Amino acid sequence: MTAIPMPVLRTSPWSKVKKYALPIIPFFLLIGVWVSVIAIADPAIGILPRPLKVLQVPFQEDEYWPNVTASLGRLFIGFLVAAVTGVLAGIVAGLSRKFADFIGPLVTAMNAISGIAWIPLAIAWFGIGRGMVVFIVWNGAFFLIFANTVLGVRMVPEVLDRSLQTLGASRLHILRNVTFPGALPHVMSGLRSGLGFGWRAVIAAELVGATSGLGQWIFIAQEFARADIIVAGALTIGVIGLIMDRGLLAPLERRTIERWGLVESSA
Amino acid sequence: MTAGNAEAASAASATLTVNGLSHWFIDPQSGSTVHALDDINLAIQPGEFITVVGPSGCGKTTLLKILAGFLKPLAGEARVHGSLITKPGRDRGVVFQELAILPWRTVRRNIGHGLEIQKVPKDVRAKKVAELTDLVGLRGFEDHYPHQLSGGMKQRVAVARTWASDPEIILMDEPFAAVDAMTRQTLQEELIRLTVETKKTVFFITHSVEEAVFLGDRVIALAARPGRVKASVQVPVPREGRTWETMTHDPSMAACVEEVLGLVRGEHEATLASESHANADAEQAQET
Amino acid sequence: MTVTVSSSGSAAQSDIERQLVRDRGKEDRRGRIVGSLLAVAPFVMVVVIWWAIYTIFDPVPTKLVAPSKVVDAFFELIREGTLPAYITQSLGRLSIGVIIAIGVGVPLGWLLGLDKDVASSVEPMLRFFNAISGIAWLPLAIAWFGFTDRTITAVIIYTMIFPVIFNTMIGVRTVPTVLRDASRSLGSGWFRVIKDVYIPGSFPSVMTGLRLGIGFGWRALIAGEFIVGGGGLGFLIFNSRTAGLTERVMLGMIVLGAVWLLIDRLILRPIEEFTAARWGMVRL
Repeated sequence: MTAIPMPVLRTSPWSKVKKYALPIIPFFLLIGVWVSVIAIADPAIGILPRPLKVLQVPFQEDEYWPNVTASLGRLFIGFLVAAVTGVLAGIVAGLSRKFADFIGPLVTAMNAISGIAWIPLAIAWFGIGRGMVVFIVWNGAFFLIFANTVLGVRMVPEVLDRSLQTLGASRLHILRNVTFPGALPHVMSGLRSGLGFGWRAVIAAELVGATSGLGQWIFIAQEFARADIIVAGALTIGVIGLIMDRGLLAPLERRTIERWGLVESSA
Repeated sequence: MTAGNAEAASAASATLTVNGLSHWFIDPQSGSTVHALDDINLAIQPGEFITVVGPSGCGKTTLLKILAGFLKPLAGEARVHGSLITKPGRDRGVVFQELAILPWRTVRRNIGHGLEIQKVPKDVRAKKVAELTDLVGLRGFEDHYPHQLSGGMKQRVAVARTWASDPEIILMDEPFAAVDAMTRQTLQEELIRLTVETKKTVFFITHSVEEAVFLGDRVIALAARPGRVKASVQVPVPREGRTWETMTHDPSMAACVEEVLGLVRGEHEATLASESHANADAEQAQET
Repeated sequence: MTVTVSSSGSAAQSDIERQLVRDRGKEDRRGRIVGSLLAVAPFVMVVVIWWAIYTIFDPVPTKLVAPSKVVDAFFELIREGTLPAYITQSLGRLSIGVIIAIGVGVPLGWLLGLDKDVASSVEPMLRFFNAISGIAWLPLAIAWFGFTDRTITAVIIYTMIFPVIFNTMIGVRTVPTVLRDASRSLGSGWFRVIKDVYIPGSFPSVMTGLRLGIGFGWRALIAGEFIVGGGGLGFLIFNSRTAGLTERVMLGMIVLGAVWLLIDRLILRPIEEFTAARWGMVRL
């Protein structure tokens, strides 16, 4: 989705400054607008908080960190289960063309009924709280990971399979040495988007079906007219999402896959 | 085995025998039958380097797949030392046209893969891999990944991997088709050296007449539609020490190339003529 | 010599051929029927499992109801007119979001993409706001607009507009410079270059962004309807749970999935494939 950067032939000091300064400008502009609106309109704290007040939330609100860890814990459990079940089921389904074709329409349909739509039924099944949120995370991530793994297994060139057969490799050996590493680029992209979906699902599920967590915290804050908590919570959600994607999964993807030269650099 | 029956005698001592082999496909689009191979008979002697040459659509890849054990022929049989080929086996190594080495393994681990599968002890494996790395000229690249190598080097890895498991027979499916002309000549000379040194029995498929004559002890020209053995031509110069420099000036080699070229070209024209009548769909399905 | 040359296929063999050709024809006709049956088969399997679980465990009606009750609920809500009304309500909200996201996001993406410095300047900010799901802003939107349709619309627009701007911008930036230079050398002014090169060149990417955006927007819509209420498919699912009408919850989920599949297959994919195929471009 991103452009391939052009090679820079001659780096002037100015271009280095530009590289780091340019991305900051829009954020400064935004804060400038924010501050001016407050200075001119002086809105109530429940409508628009002061930037400084938002920055203070992580340090002054006792509930901040427990809620962050509660959300992350639910994401972790749900995503872990989704990753293990999704990849395993995906490999099994991908190995048999007939089974993959059979299950295909169902997976598409399940993907279409987004994780969020399951919230009311999940509340009925698991009650309010962690089990229900974990189920929603699993639901949101599983089908994406599963579908990508099936695709990955199907895209492994048959000639690699055959070449190992002529070396006398067993079915299990081929599975471990060809099928799984060959499917890995797709598995990784499935895991990446699955984690993104899972994180969104955690917040949505907590809004209506939990007694703790970032989602529930910012929802309650609205009733108490605490927009500083809402904004701080929303920004936290964004930062955590970015750190997980850019800081955790993207480098992992680069390290393994680009070393093998399977896909071109994409970030 | 009477002295008068030379063919039977040679078939009995042969490493690889093919008897009355026929195979055909159903074209998925037109539903018509595509005749890939028709009553092929071959006997390949131990240590012999056989090259098979023919126009596209003569079923050479189909023949190789049957010998490798990936495909069951619809009629006839192929045998190694008298035992029927039904599935891929360690006695037959295959070098594929596409680059079939694993992108996620280094050169060293790719070359040693067959030995790893056979559970050869690590130190023995390392020695064998080092030996082969030297033999195919890849020393210094042991820890490179395939994407860091040129096309010619990748194919060297594939050749070394096949040789490492020490199969008796080696099947090669146009292994040098994807590399540039200069590299190809080097690889061909190296292959001669390697096969002479290791005394392998080789079944080599190509569509280049020069390559077929240069590499082979014997060249088999296939006819197309249906794939039939048209002729078998003995190459007049022994394989030891053949190089492109000497071969291009050898009149007997030139004559041999002419002879095979005549056989294949006649066939090629016949193919073109029949193509103008045959339906286009069937033609596409031939090589699959 | 060791090679025998044999010609002419035997008569028995051509019989086999003819038989194979005949079988193939039969298989084709059978294949099409089997194919369409197979697409339904996994759903039949799910319904059978659902029904089996229902009969074996006999759950309380708030947890699971029989498939037949969902079918009954479907006809009941059709008769009442509630289901068609809710579907139009949800689609209406989504359409407003789509129109505004296209109207604002696409031109903005074009403008931002034209200048390399501007584009690399705003890219991190767009990525950042894209990472904050629209749902996270729902509490703030409620604080601003109350429990109204405006809240839902605001969240949908927020969710949709970032993927649209981002992909439009990337689309403009990845138009090969040689096309711009060629157009310039033909004597085009800047306006013509934008109109002839950048706008059509960015189109496939715009469509990708739109499809992504609408997918996210659809989910944001459901969440918005859960919390804000006021009709729509999300409201149907959420409100029916509170009322203990599990058959309506499940019906709502199925309709939700079906409506989305229809939007995706009948509108989004054809448009995207058409633009990409017509210009022969690879999607980004």
